[in-house]
Amino acid sequence: MNKSKGRLSAILQNGLLVIYAIFALFPLVWMVILTFKADSQMFTTTFIFTPTLDNYNEVLFKSDYVKYFIDSIIVAGGAVIVSILAGVPAAYALARYDFKKKEDIAFQILSFKFAPEILVVLPLFMIYQKLGIYDTYFGLIWVYQLISMPLLIWVVRGYFEDISVEIEHAAQVDGYSWWQIFFKMLLPLIKPGLVAAALLAFIFAWNSFTFPLMLSGTSVQPITVAATKYLASDSVHYGQMAVAATVSALPAVIFALCIQKHLVRGLSFGAVKG
Amino acid sequence: MARIQLEKVTKKFGNVTALNGIDLDVKDKEFFILFGPAGAGKTTMLNNIAGIQIPEEGVVKIGGEVVNQIDPAHRNTAMVFENYALYPHMNVYDNIASPLRSPLYKKDEETIKKAVDRVAKMMKIDYLLERLPSQLSNGQKQRVALGRALVREPNVFLMDEPLAHLDAKLRNAMRTELKEIQVNFETTSIYVTHDFMEAMSLGDRIAIVDHGEIVQIGTGDAIYYMPCNEFVAQLMGDPEINLIPGTLKKKENKYFFTLDEGVAEYQLPAEEDLFKKLEDSESEKVDLGLRPQHVKYSFEPMEGFLKCTVYSYESIGNKSVIIAQYKNLQIRMIAPNGVTLKLDQDIYVNFLLEHSLFFRAETKEYISRYNEAGILALEKEQEG
Repeated sequence: MNKSKGRLSAILQNGLLVIYAIFALFPLVWMVILTFKADSQMFTTTFIFTPTLDNYNEVLFKSDYVKYFIDSIIVAGGAVIVSILAGVPAAYALARYDFKKKEDIAFQILSFKFAPEILVVLPLFMIYQKLGIYDTYFGLIWVYQLISMPLLIWVVRGYFEDISVEIEHAAQVDGYSWWQIFFKMLLPLIKPGLVAAALLAFIFAWNSFTFPLMLSGTSVQPITVAATKYLASDSVHYGQMAVAATVSALPAVIFALCIQKHLVRGLSFGAVKG
Repeated sequence: MARIQLEKVTKKFGNVTALNGIDLDVKDKEFFILFGPAGAGKTTMLNNIAGIQIPEEGVVKIGGEVVNQIDPAHRNTAMVFENYALYPHMNVYDNIASPLRSPLYKKDEETIKKAVDRVAKMMKIDYLLERLPSQLSNGQKQRVALGRALVREPNVFLMDEPLAHLDAKLRNAMRTELKEIQVNFETTSIYVTHDFMEAMSLGDRIAIVDHGEIVQIGTGDAIYYMPCNEFVAQLMGDPEINLIPGTLKKKENKYFFTLDEGVAEYQLPAEEDLFKKLEDSESEKVDLGLRPQHVKYSFEPMEGFLKCTVYSYESIGNKSVIIAQYKNLQIRMIAPNGVTLKLDQDIYVNFLLEHSLFFRAETKEYISRYNEAGILALEKEQEG
């Protein structure tokens, strides 16, 4: 009897999971289907239609899509690199050193994420115009720090706090210099957290819409903003838009699949103090 | 191979003074023990020698050279940390090999392998070399930490309670082994412990540390037999020394000791040196120190025995400890095993006064003891 009960609950569990999977994945599937439809069949067919690669051709080869894609990689990737270079030392300092207003500074960094983007984007727009960094890679990478830096600092700080300070002392006594200790002892230990936080920061920066919409013009245009181009005033090319969206979702999906193992553990591991 | 000196070393953490003007001179090749209660500043002292912390005042010398400005890597010390401080991402082999792979003390891989195998055998962890620290028990971790220190040939070994987390049997074995290792290595060692047995058996000399200050330095026997105050007397010895408050009275040429708690009066056995010191000290109120093995007991009333009640009785293997209560005074004594007694039953206690120590009641400082001359002679011989 127990066995049949166990099987029943297994079926129930799996059934629920399947339902959730359909619920979660269907929009994506729908999006992929749209990419293969011609505009004429967009509203007349659901699953059975004549597949065409015209949309791909149109978007990838006949428009500037590839340039937008590269722009996105530059600004999101640049933002993450800057966040790592500045954020890891900051996290280390917050974890290891005692200085005045330490917690206030840590909170201040976190609070960058509190304000809705739309609220700060207008003043930023004026400032950017004045500084002459409107519509530049530098400007976007800079503003993306609001998105990526707090996340990275807070996750990595937890990791540093979990490493007992005696490990650094032991390495010092063993004859290592601070930089060697950092790369040989500390970096391997914070790696899961760093990778997870960096990936998440990359995805957030990649998906960011409000900042690039307001702070970039024609010379630098990330993919999220560029995708709106397919909404023309007279007609909407859903197929092309779907292609733009599908391709732009790829890097995040690929990255996430590659480091799936680190992702969940990486984010939860540092947070829970043993 | 180096002499370690601390001169007037003071270390503060914010408002807390962890070390207060420490003067210490550890001879070359000496096995030196820092012994004291938790929070006394023992570990801070090691950290200052290793260079992990820098003192606010004072000078640290290794081999006669001032090292205050030298970073830990260049001081060539090997340290065993109390919480092991193993590198979690490296297996046991790599952990032990790590000092030999650092840029400063670099050796070729073949030498490293030989050295690691040697200490692994010595520490009996040669079957664990492939494991990660998280897969080790505490005792094994501690042995890996010891191995990582012993793999080198440093100026000085600094050991912070390296045996604290081992089980009793292993601890005894390791204690013997450590002593032997130290003799073979001929390296200065500074060893922190709060275990009286370790301090007594391992150390050439012991420094008693309390509240960031050194209270007394001497050989184990010297400190055991002539503690400079009651705190040290209580620290050295298990079960703890009995301190019996009372009053000294001189009648003619004889000294009498009266218990504060009652009417019992004892005539002190005559000893010229002691009586002279007692006279010079001019103290009436004294605490009489008496080790538990120098208290005799009987379950029948006897002449000159003090009537007490049994407060507690615990067997500790090869012997047992009885605590008798006389009014507010508790008296510890050692009894053979297998004594049958009930709590609160009557017990009659007598003191072997010819072994007693005398402390001033107000300052808790040592005045003198029986056979002081003999003990001083012994100490001289030990220090050689």
